Amino acid sequence: MDSRIKLPQIIITVFMAALFVLAGFLGMDIPELISGSFTKFVMNGVLVLAMIPMINAGVGMNFGLPVGIVAGLLGMCVAIQLRMTGIAGFLGAVALSVVPAVLLGLIYAKILNMVKGKEDIAAIFIGYSFIPIMNFVWTVIPFTNREMLYPVGAKGLRPKISLENYFGNVLNELMVLKLGKISVPLGLLITYAVMCLLVYGFFKTKGGSVMLAVGENEKFCQLSGIRIDRVRTMAIVLSTVIGAAGICVYAQTYGFVELYNAPLSHSFPAVSAILIGGCIGRQAKISHAVLGTYLYQTIYLLSAPIANAILIPQMSEIVRMIITNGIILYAFLKQERRRRQ
Amino acid sequence: MGEYVLEVRNLEKYYGQNKVLDKVNLSIKKGQIYGLIGANGSGKSTLMNILFGNSVISGTGGYSGDVIFEGERTRFRSTTEAIGRGIGMIYQEFMLIPEMTVAENIKLTRENTKSIFGKASGSMLSFVDKRKDNEDAARVLEQLGFQIDNSYLVKNISVNAKQFVEIAREVNKEDLKLLLLDEPTAVLGDEDAGKLIKVLKELAKKGTSVLFCSHRLHEICQVCDHVTVLRDGQVISDYTKDELDMHTLARDMIGYDVAAVKKEHLNREKKEILKFQDFSVYMPGEYLDGLNLDVYQGEILGLTSLSGHGKLAVGYGVMGQFPVRGELLHGSAAMEVKNVRRTIEQGIFLLPDDRKNMGLLLEHSVRDNIIFSGFYGRNLFQKKMGGIFPVKDKKEIERYVEEQIEKLEIKCESADQKVKELSGGNQQKVCIARAVLVAPKVLFVMEPTRGVDIGAKEKILDMLVQINREQGTTIVVASSELEELKRISDRIAVFCEGKLSQILPPDASDEEFAFAFTGEEEEDGQ
Repeated sequence: MDSRIKLPQIIITVFMAALFVLAGFLGMDIPELISGSFTKFVMNGVLVLAMIPMINAGVGMNFGLPVGIVAGLLGMCVAIQLRMTGIAGFLGAVALSVVPAVLLGLIYAKILNMVKGKEDIAAIFIGYSFIPIMNFVWTVIPFTNREMLYPVGAKGLRPKISLENYFGNVLNELMVLKLGKISVPLGLLITYAVMCLLVYGFFKTKGGSVMLAVGENEKFCQLSGIRIDRVRTMAIVLSTVIGAAGICVYAQTYGFVELYNAPLSHSFPAVSAILIGGCIGRQAKISHAVLGTYLYQTIYLLSAPIANAILIPQMSEIVRMIITNGIILYAFLKQERRRRQ
Repeated sequence: MGEYVLEVRNLEKYYGQNKVLDKVNLSIKKGQIYGLIGANGSGKSTLMNILFGNSVISGTGGYSGDVIFEGERTRFRSTTEAIGRGIGMIYQEFMLIPEMTVAENIKLTRENTKSIFGKASGSMLSFVDKRKDNEDAARVLEQLGFQIDNSYLVKNISVNAKQFVEIAREVNKEDLKLLLLDEPTAVLGDEDAGKLIKVLKELAKKGTSVLFCSHRLHEICQVCDHVTVLRDGQVISDYTKDELDMHTLARDMIGYDVAAVKKEHLNREKKEILKFQDFSVYMPGEYLDGLNLDVYQGEILGLTSLSGHGKLAVGYGVMGQFPVRGELLHGSAAMEVKNVRRTIEQGIFLLPDDRKNMGLLLEHSVRDNIIFSGFYGRNLFQKKMGGIFPVKDKKEIERYVEEQIEKLEIKCESADQKVKELSGGNQQKVCIARAVLVAPKVLFVMEPTRGVDIGAKEKILDMLVQINREQGTTIVVASSELEELKRISDRIAVFCEGKLSQILPPDASDEEFAFAFTGEEEEDGQ
């Protein structure tokens, strides 16, 4: 399978360009939109990277992304509790989320290994059933930093914890390059590039390439003496850890840590993004994730104000739903067609 | 010209830049059995696909030339169209619905119907007359001389039974004018293949023409009225029935003479390396029941049986692919077959018969396939990058892979070519190179020459003998090709209905083997 850009990607790119032109006609601030597209891109980019190990090991789409996200939220909450600030605070939060990510990832893997063949649907329900448990946990977990707790009563974590005094926007404001009116957040982009390189490098190692092989032909690998379940577990844990790091990047850009039901809203857009990038079925490349995230997020960024301006208010949410779910459906159809050939 | 059912004129077909059919001409008379032989990749399947209107053809740019069916120039756009005109096809791979019964599969789309509303409800809304369907199916199976309960689900029956169901489905079609068979006997044992051939002859007598594609030359010679040999997409030669000669056909097919491998038999001391004790394997369609067998160090042991009688279950049981019962001793220690990794570490390795699904990484390169088991399973070719990360030792790998490609005569553009693009024989050679690297003590090989053309077949057999002789590897070959087993094995274990029926020396007479295959004891002696 080559990574050549194919027709669907071209259509979507053209669509995106058309949106830019339309935005120009509507008198919107194009440089600001472009700058915004960079931030949006990286903000969600790492979450999309969390799809790659699982797809490549043949486990399917990481619909259980909320598991990794919860681990990241736990890490960030601990970092806030410890009043960690700045870049160090951000890195601390990522480091702190690795432990819960590994633990939760192991449980997630255990379940997925038991439901081989139906991982996609099982993962969706793992996400949906895990969140209510965490909702309970967030209300009773004994954190004491007042900024995290409900202002009234001072018990239970609030749904949106501001990162303003901790590590909000630390990467966004790191090394911003001004090109005319467009500002390029170099620090943010470099962070993302490093993460991509790490994932890319991993698939060049022995552990990574065996993952690719297991994704392609499990029986073959088993007869070569590879412990299939162990490789799958490794992929799932890795996806979960990347997911945890992903939500940390997301939260620092957004400026808030969102708890409770928020993690659920990330998995479908992430799945959509990698599919838009051209990943169909068994193998996902970094290029799929990068291209897909940029196209998906930028179209969303552009279509929201345009739709609001020329159609009806609140149109943006509808457009977003159509794109997200439509693309997932399209990818399933496409996969099915390929398999029949 | 009413005489010919099918004429093909100047047929040409490209896959990308590759010319797979080059000015092919054939004409098949009514009621004729027409043989088409050729090595893998000679264009047989492509030709069949064109005749059957398979969408693969139009999807890859169509073809040029004429297909004239019943005197009329035709170009089938879809298989439905071809079926409508009275063409049937039996595939190499099964086109059956696993969750349906034998009878349902046979009568699918041609069900007998009955309706409480009479004609008014149309055939789509009429009830299926199951009883009548069952009767029909039973009749056609009986006509084929194959006994199986109609009500079994297809997923539960053995491979050769599936093949018969598929044949029954086609034979049951009224108004069948031309039947295309793509390697129908590849999965059948000799006896079953014989049954099939009888059916074909009867069909031909009734006026159906048959285009019969096979590697098995003796079958072709036995049954065909006319034979065309294809090589690299070109028609090499044409023979009528009385001109047929297996040796000439073989030479035409591969383009040179083959020297048959023959192993000289050495006398070694008998030391058991594997000991099966009351070993049963619950493999669907290949049940093995209470095997007691010693495998001696350094021998080549052949396992054979009619298909579905248990020869394949031995190897898959050892590799923990199916539930087992009973004991397996390696040396003197009992083995835990569920732990495949441990089994491989103990030096036992298996090359499966289902190469596409179990034996190869189709999307990976020749190189990756050859080194895979050695690199990941046995940690060969490793060096540490920066002292920590294990990475591939590319130079060593390159050297080894090139050496194997040359030694096994693997035909590929380069070591980077994807394995799925190679022919069956070359794929099997890649598998063998993979096993050689692992250097197992005991190597199980399942159907090593299935779907492999003659030239490659000899090379593969030769390699097995060579591995055995040079590395002292004990080899257990499960195969339905008795002739080949006789040539390379020290002993041949014959199975019948899941039980070990006899262990025979390779020079035992055909009669003795025949008795062993059917599980009948000889009258004299013991």
